[in-house]
Amino acid sequence: MYLVEDLYKQHGERLGLELVAGKSGMKRRIKVPEAHRPGLALAGYLKSHAGKRITIFGKVEIEYLRDLAPPVRVKCLNDILSTPTPAVIVARRYRPPKELMSLCEKHAIPLFRASMTTMNLLSKLTLLLTEEFAPSMSCHGTLVEVFGVGVLIQGDSSVGKSEAALGLIERGHRLISDDIVKVKKRESSYLEGFGAELTRHHMEIRGIGIINVAHLYGAVCVRDNKSIDIVVKLETWDDQNFYDRVGLDEKYCDMLGVKLPFHILPVKPGRDVVLLLETIALNHRLKGMGYNSAKEFNAKLLNMIATKTKRN
Amino acid sequence: MKLIQKVQVKNMMGLHTRPATAIVKMLQNSKCDVSFTYKKATINAKSILSILMLAARKNSKITITVEGSDADATMEKLLIAFENEFGE
Repeated sequence: MYLVEDLYKQHGERLGLELVAGKSGMKRRIKVPEAHRPGLALAGYLKSHAGKRITIFGKVEIEYLRDLAPPVRVKCLNDILSTPTPAVIVARRYRPPKELMSLCEKHAIPLFRASMTTMNLLSKLTLLLTEEFAPSMSCHGTLVEVFGVGVLIQGDSSVGKSEAALGLIERGHRLISDDIVKVKKRESSYLEGFGAELTRHHMEIRGIGIINVAHLYGAVCVRDNKSIDIVVKLETWDDQNFYDRVGLDEKYCDMLGVKLPFHILPVKPGRDVVLLLETIALNHRLKGMGYNSAKEFNAKLLNMIATKTKRN
Repeated sequence: MKLIQKVQVKNMMGLHTRPATAIVKMLQNSKCDVSFTYKKATINAKSILSILMLAARKNSKITITVEGSDADATMEKLLIAFENEFGE
């Protein structure tokens, strides 16, 4: 649940908001991540009026209101403010008409003034709200950046996620978060991972304890957030399981509705997990550049078989 | 089997490093999946950093979810430990 109060506290300064009236309505709920200019609704056309959005008054709206006769002005404003609109913002630091102020007080709708131009305010506000309303989750795992690729290492407790991450950091890759990763969907197309405020840049290694990676290895070894590009699941080696030996079929997993390449990496003594993770990341980059090692090899093989058949 | 129970943190200092260590130590050999939910965050109770991330104060209420073959015994052990303030 996102309230007007939250918006004001978290982003008020950034948007340059100043509360003018309707303080009692700060607990109003913002239900949709949208804002709009009243436009036609102000002229009396209220059919399909999106009343749940935050209402923004710009230069045109304020001047239009000024031109109206006071009783009409009250009627128009009353029509708009009888909707569940969470808040009203007047852009360009215009002084809100006193009817607007008194109606906001009456309906308990917070009224703000902002110094930005209307379009600037509208786009900034939409961006912030979309971000706040983005689907998110937290998952158990370790997020590292390897050669610029965001790798989410998952697996059961004590399979060696943190140790693998430590190895990667030692080789100059970066840690985003260990143990718990908060994931947010951005622009409804990709995922971004970041750590929790308290445990950010900390790791727990069995036999050593809690360490601060940023202090041990320097600021170059940590990052605050990173897009998640691939998911690798570490698993203890199971002789009964047939692991991917070719890499022709690509596996995917689903996180918050985003499809991510997924690898299962069996772990056993003698397998250098750090090196394997680096290879997975490099191979992912190579695929991004349009080269798929497994497919290329298969094509070469098919070609050779075809020439042999011709010869015979 | 899945069990869900709500507990209150009784320790003076809240769920700090020592109680968290005690919980992880206790769950080390448990075959269950154990998770704690506190203020919208659900975490794996077998990881120290995750428990610490909750930064649960004294008297905060935590929902414990235990799922697995020995859920009964694990839940009982956890409840006793919370009640005894982890021996502090």
